[in-house]
Amino acid sequence: MNIAVLVKLSVDTSYMRLDQNNRVLFSEIPLKVSDIDRNAVEEALRIKQQGLANKISSFSVLTWGSSDKRVSEAQNLLREILAMGVDESYLYVDPGFVYSHLYTAKILARMIRKAGDYSLILAGEASIDGYSSQVPCRVAEELGIPCVSYARRIEVKEGKVIVERDLEDSVEVVGVKLPAVVSVTREINTPRLPTLLQIRAAMRKPVNIIKASDIGLEPMKKIHEFVAEGVKIQRKGVIIEGKTVDEKIEKLLEALAKEGITLYRG
Amino acid sequence: MKILLAGRISEVAELTGFIAPISSTADIHALIFGKPGEDEIRSLSVSKAIVAENADPSYADDVVEALKAVLGKEVYDYIVLVATRINKEAGARVAQTIGAPAITEAIGVRLEDGSPVFIRSVMAGKAISKETLSSPAVIMVAPGRNKPVDTGKRVGEIQRISISGKRSVEIIERKGKERKGVRVEDAEIIVSVGRGFKSKEDLSMAFKLAELIGAQVGCSRPIAADLKWLSEEHWIGLSGKKVRPKLYIAIGISGQPQHLAGIMDSKIIVAINKDPGAPIFKYSDYGVVEDLYVFIPKLMEKLSTRQK
Repeated sequence: MNIAVLVKLSVDTSYMRLDQNNRVLFSEIPLKVSDIDRNAVEEALRIKQQGLANKISSFSVLTWGSSDKRVSEAQNLLREILAMGVDESYLYVDPGFVYSHLYTAKILARMIRKAGDYSLILAGEASIDGYSSQVPCRVAEELGIPCVSYARRIEVKEGKVIVERDLEDSVEVVGVKLPAVVSVTREINTPRLPTLLQIRAAMRKPVNIIKASDIGLEPMKKIHEFVAEGVKIQRKGVIIEGKTVDEKIEKLLEALAKEGITLYRG
Repeated sequence: MKILLAGRISEVAELTGFIAPISSTADIHALIFGKPGEDEIRSLSVSKAIVAENADPSYADDVVEALKAVLGKEVYDYIVLVATRINKEAGARVAQTIGAPAITEAIGVRLEDGSPVFIRSVMAGKAISKETLSSPAVIMVAPGRNKPVDTGKRVGEIQRISISGKRSVEIIERKGKERKGVRVEDAEIIVSVGRGFKSKEDLSMAFKLAELIGAQVGCSRPIAADLKWLSEEHWIGLSGKKVRPKLYIAIGISGQPQHLAGIMDSKIIVAINKDPGAPIFKYSDYGVVEDLYVFIPKLMEKLSTRQK
């Protein structure tokens, strides 16, 4: 069986940039492989190491602009996961791309169908920039196959996948027939760091650029618009100074009392 | 504008609070899963109730099937659910089927020039996004932030539907999570612990402090997820619980963005950390640069003498 991994090239939340009007300048924030998608890649590699998978392919849609700079940034990032052990990557680049999870999922589903026969599709539970958790199950719906989210353990056996999933108040062990989409949490594993040798070898692995004409997508409409503004930190940021711990504690308790908070019961 | 609120009856009631700012001119229907009593249904502030008695909302498949059945007969501008994990699966699938945009973890909505604008947190809590979606759209609302609101609407019609109950996912086992009655999301004061604690045993200091001041104990990701010193019900952050206490005391927590995203709504944040460069200080109201192993015992000593 082959495994497809959905890999989001997210904007890196550690390098947020704002314009003069406090709006997030998404186009100027560097990209990174969304953290939890690395866990999905790692899980695919572990399944392959058990001898249960032949090929692992990654699928990405360039959602944060499609300039040449963005494309080369994306290619470099995909080399990181190729170095981890993914066999090949597919990257969708389209200047006509219109933001919406609906289109991202349609594109991913068509890319996967066109690329071959995949029994298991893995993804992170959410991407770090938008944290919407929509795309994995949307892709499943588009492909007409089941979706199981929040996996923290996966076992593939006899045409099925057994998943231990993490819900709010319970942990469920569920079984679904393959093909299926499974999204994973960070807790499932610790993603490996590739060696220098692997990074060098990854230069020879293919990053296939896919265009709109390759998958025959109907024109996209503006159906989801957003403006993001930086959260202003409205904290006081007072550092309580004092020569001794006792003095600091006294001052802290005083400050809290002024806020109307008394730190003992009664 | 037509809105469909879907979920267990308690969730639908919660959702009436969320949509209150846009509901005055809207026609609001409810799709209820399970078998609530007629009085309960009539207590909802909606104009029509559709009850899917045999739909079990702990299966995304059931939620999807019931929603598809209703949406096949009637068109709604907004389909609104509480963003539980199961509903996030179901909402995404339904949105894809009807070719609709969706948003997850909406924290507010208001009318701007007659159109609803939805608010959510993005960039690991560092930015607030204002989003407009063409209709129909699926809206998944951050849980636990809304109380039922009576907008004067009364249930005029109760319709009953049933679903086939065909499921693609088989539940083999369901284990309740260990619950010791800890609900950090409802706490007024939280003492939260991080990697500054050197061993699991040392956490007892935090528990004693919490008991003394009537607080609940929270923790950052490594304590619950990696070290497993505390159960997940204590875990505060982007993938853990989001809290909104009057006072949040972060002890030995460096202040990773994912943790900060869970504590943004706290009224006052106090940070204790021996590293003056810890990012948490920038996101605190009051910071004390001190070794927690010195600070906590002294603080407890002081508080107990005050109490006497």
